[in-house]
Amino acid sequence: MDTHVPVTVDPITASVVQGALENIAVEVGYKLMRMAYSSIIRESEDFGAALVDAEGRGLAESAQSTPLQSGPIPGYVKHMLRTLAARGDTVRPGDVIMHNDPYGGASHGPDVAFIVPVFHQGELVGFSGTTAHHLDIGALTPGSCGIVDAIDAYAEGLQFRAIKVVSEGVRNEAVWQILRDNIRASDLVVGDMEAQVAASRIGAERMAALVSRVGLPAFRAACAALMDHAERLMRQAIARLPEGSWRAETFIDGYLDDPDPSRRELPLVATVTKKGDGLVVDLTGTAPQVPDRPINMPLTGTVDVAVWLTIRSVLLDTAIHGHVPVNEGLTRPITIIAPKGCLANPTYPAPTIARFCPGNQLADTVMKALAQAVPGQVSAGIGNLKVIAFSGLSGEKHWVHMEIFEGSYGGRADSDGMDAVDTLYANTRNNPIEDIETHLPLRVERYELREDKVGAGTFRGGLGSVRAFRFLTDGGASVEGEGHHFRPWGFDGGEDGETARLDIVRADGTVQALPSKVPHMAVKAGDTFVCEGPAGGGYGDPRLRDPASIAADVADGLISAETARDRFGAGIAPGRAKT
Amino acid sequence: MRLIGVDVGGTFTDLVLADTETGTVTIHKVPTTPEDPSIGVAEGVGGLCDHAGVSRAAIDHVLHGTTIATNAALEHRGAECGMITTRGYRDILHIGRHQRPQHYSIRQQIPWQATPLVKRRHRHVVTERLVPPRGDVLVPLAEDEVRAAARALREAGITAIAIGFLFSYLNPAHERRAREIVREEHPDAFVTISSDVAPQFREFERFTTAAMNAFVGPKVRDYVARLDRRIGEAGLTADLHIMASNGGVVTPAMVAERPVVTMLSGPAAGVLGGAWAGALSDRKNLITFDVGGTSADIGIVTEGVFAEATARDTWIAGFPLLTPMIDIHTIGAGGGSIARVDEGGAFRVGPQSAGARPGPAAYGRGGTEPTVTDAHVVLGRLVPANFLGGAMSLDVAASERVIDGLAAKLGLPREAAALGVLTIINANMANAIRSRTVQKGIDPRGYALVAFGGAGPLHGAEVARELGIREVVVPPHPGITSAMGLLTSDLKYDALRTAFQASTAFDLARMAEDFAAMEAEIAARFAADGIDPARTRTARAADMRYAGQGYELRVAVGDGAVEAGTIAAALERFHAAHRAEYGHAFPDSVVEIVNLRVTGIGARPKPNRPVPRHGDGLAGATLRETGVVFAVDGVAERMVTPVLARERLPLGTPIAGPAIVVQTDTTTVVPPGCTLVADAGGNLIITL
Repeated sequence: MDTHVPVTVDPITASVVQGALENIAVEVGYKLMRMAYSSIIRESEDFGAALVDAEGRGLAESAQSTPLQSGPIPGYVKHMLRTLAARGDTVRPGDVIMHNDPYGGASHGPDVAFIVPVFHQGELVGFSGTTAHHLDIGALTPGSCGIVDAIDAYAEGLQFRAIKVVSEGVRNEAVWQILRDNIRASDLVVGDMEAQVAASRIGAERMAALVSRVGLPAFRAACAALMDHAERLMRQAIARLPEGSWRAETFIDGYLDDPDPSRRELPLVATVTKKGDGLVVDLTGTAPQVPDRPINMPLTGTVDVAVWLTIRSVLLDTAIHGHVPVNEGLTRPITIIAPKGCLANPTYPAPTIARFCPGNQLADTVMKALAQAVPGQVSAGIGNLKVIAFSGLSGEKHWVHMEIFEGSYGGRADSDGMDAVDTLYANTRNNPIEDIETHLPLRVERYELREDKVGAGTFRGGLGSVRAFRFLTDGGASVEGEGHHFRPWGFDGGEDGETARLDIVRADGTVQALPSKVPHMAVKAGDTFVCEGPAGGGYGDPRLRDPASIAADVADGLISAETARDRFGAGIAPGRAKT
Repeated sequence: MRLIGVDVGGTFTDLVLADTETGTVTIHKVPTTPEDPSIGVAEGVGGLCDHAGVSRAAIDHVLHGTTIATNAALEHRGAECGMITTRGYRDILHIGRHQRPQHYSIRQQIPWQATPLVKRRHRHVVTERLVPPRGDVLVPLAEDEVRAAARALREAGITAIAIGFLFSYLNPAHERRAREIVREEHPDAFVTISSDVAPQFREFERFTTAAMNAFVGPKVRDYVARLDRRIGEAGLTADLHIMASNGGVVTPAMVAERPVVTMLSGPAAGVLGGAWAGALSDRKNLITFDVGGTSADIGIVTEGVFAEATARDTWIAGFPLLTPMIDIHTIGAGGGSIARVDEGGAFRVGPQSAGARPGPAAYGRGGTEPTVTDAHVVLGRLVPANFLGGAMSLDVAASERVIDGLAAKLGLPREAAALGVLTIINANMANAIRSRTVQKGIDPRGYALVAFGGAGPLHGAEVARELGIREVVVPPHPGITSAMGLLTSDLKYDALRTAFQASTAFDLARMAEDFAAMEAEIAARFAADGIDPARTRTARAADMRYAGQGYELRVAVGDGAVEAGTIAAALERFHAAHRAEYGHAFPDSVVEIVNLRVTGIGARPKPNRPVPRHGDGLAGATLRETGVVFAVDGVAERMVTPVLARERLPLGTPIAGPAIVVQTDTTTVVPPGCTLVADAGGNLIITL
């Protein structure tokens, strides 16, 4: 602990240090993205970069990447420090530490962090860390998503608890050998890990230079000030809420084809209570953990990030508030309660690798609770996501391609929902069709909006997408998704949205509907996955929708004339009331 | 040879005339006519000739930087567009990369969804499909469907059409045939094909570039035609050339066909102007630093050559563009940037700006927010009696009032608050420069900072100090450096082919074929422009990456026959570039050549070096002494500081800071500890 922190720092230095930290985090993210090999990192941007202080408190994160990657980095570092301490070890200059323990700060196993400590004149002053979703982590089937039948943490792949891959500047070649020998497509994955190490080191160098420039006492005081500042922003936003407590419940599919009812149709519950200028988010009521299926959510790394993301996006929406610094101060006013043994706080070794979609549904549940407090600041229910891992063998080597399929947003108080985008805590990118088909035995046969499937409302929900992938050679695939059974919630008189669906059209033309989670299955050349994305919920009474907007949607082919008439009441009441 | 450069800004149109025979340079300024800038340009050109006493008919070339395309994109005021695309992919423009621009926002709008370049009702699909790696035809083009789509668009009153088919960068035949059909059915339409404007992979970005070209197309085409006519009506017979984002100029015919190339026309001219100024004092490694009222544009010039933007780093109005551009980094930091204390109590400067109206409080036009300019006034750095040559007054009391309001919120004395405003804005500017130097493996300490624009010379020395840069160059006419840059430009055309070749199996014959085809394409362009082939040259380059990576680095490729040695040398350059950019290289890994490029340069006449006006000694240059506040060891101190007239400075005599140098278009601050020299090349050089 640092006992030298002066009580105050001038606001000018605080502002300068914050700008410099943000600039460094952006550089680290930019470089990782550009150096990385696998498309899940370089195209999908499923990676994170952040700077934290010596205790692991978040100071700044990269502006690229996805919130579910950068957000957890402080948690990785805090747990990494605890793990080292428990082993009687400590961090030293020249170390690079690998960590992916979902019961120790990690978001889930495939999101491996590489952390580089920053020293100033021999004293630890902080860390530069990156995370990235790796293509494969040595689980039971190829790829690192769609491992939906892992029965425990051991079945999910390799577990790294504060492993020094470089110790005081010396590479631990044995560890790198283990990585190369136990991971499929290891050329890509290990290359990506090397890119992470290089990018994290750049961040550490820059941070050390910053500390030298401003001096350690001023740096520490500035860090304390910028966290206090973010905390004040969040407390003020919370203080503006009406007094109250708001409960919401949504459901996830779980395993729709499972005979065991405890693995199907599982409730997520969030009760958000205002306590002065703080918020308590109580997840009591959420379904018990599923002990042998990996849809359990790590409390630190997934659940916390989902809760913070939603509260921040609603209360300090950057489209309204402009730039809001991202650091630990934002999270201080928020307390999360999750009973041990529920989906949102599982007990080891319950598996967690497929927590992506449940976590995003939890974020949506928190928004549904906040909708009661600040109805003008939310969207109606979002359409959740889906990931498919496509794979095969090329000679003796695996190819693996993971594609994230977009959802959509619900309608908003003054505008329609965003169509066919990643939602809430995920903000990745699709892969260009022209890149996929050039490098993989896949053909993307269709990529368009899903017409006439809409959550009607004064402001309608966003439309989903239709995307079809055909295999050109034999291979395999696994699926990890949500939203096949429960429709995104409508709000304030708006209709519920539309569920997602997934078909496999075999080469012979037979069609088979698939549930939202499919463990690894064999696929033949000519088989096609047709993925129809969900449509977000409507906001407000559809009969109050501006007739010009209805007409525009018909002209654009987004909805049919029948839908306009039957669900929006177009043409029925020409003199309709307008709000 | 007599050349005129015209740069249209938001408030003023800057003009400069250079006579390469007499060596004279004449400058002129007229108000911009925003409703149709060609009016102001034509009037300004005429006025400039009269002012210089030169016959209008004696002008050989007019070079023009325009913001028509930029403004059409930023204000989203372009043509009602249509699109014809591959069946099954109607919504590539709408879905984009399925990423939201902001992570933490529910109420954001996505530009390509909320303000689309082409409405869905005007996006028609036709049966056709090409496949990689060579662009073979999987499904032939259904020509009748193209014809039907063209008719439907014509009947809907659409005047600009983009055609974008998957994999057209590998084989443009379908797009070209579709364009023929559209022209038959709809002869008046402005038609763009994606393989023409951006023949490279990534369909969303390529289609968006084509759609943006169509969106701004008719407007830019009409503007250039109008301008050409008005200049003629003003009595000029000169050739007109337009500045492109790639740092070269192009003909009106080229702009009419591919207007999207002018998207960064204005800022590109600034980088050229900065490079020109540096060259006057034999400086070749430069950071150009163009600061105006609302923003600062930063460019990098190494060994006299400006940096180009990396693929996928180029955006306009939130839309990605795949067109060659000078690497210009713009941040919201300028003289009008507003200082404030936010809700959480943090001290912020910019990116909000008071702009030209109401502008800083000091301008007396009703501005009530404290700005960077007000901080300069309070600190004594802008001298009311000498501001813009006395053409504009400064309301010192108003500046003091708004800075006092800020100081009260911060609990700081007036001068400390004003110094704080500058410290923060300078740090923001320094961070922006770091992102283009340190972060790209360039050590800024080996570069000189060329400070220009109305506000650049006020900040140059302190920003340089922040970065360890030892030299600041202030050009002869900092306010019209962009217009000067226009005069130094060459004709420049870019050609590109996607290659996707791996180092394990390079097809040298195919590369040679591609280079030859591109060189022929560029030669034909120059021939059409009537350029003497002796004055043209071409340069080859390749975009490379390690196989598996998603981002490329551009390296030069040698001329002549494409042999194993030629490519091996280019690979070596790639490894070195990767090391510089990212800190390491993988010399044993497979390298993929993604694109081959050829750039054609058509040399144009250049202005002579200016002969600076000067005086004999410091005494004669000193207009007065005034108190100016500087931070000395972190403490605000008001120091007695001479106010010097630039045109009376003695040449080559070192002058110790602190000093303030005034001229009609800017004020230069020389902080204590720095040395100022008026260079024989025409620049001021500040040594830190």
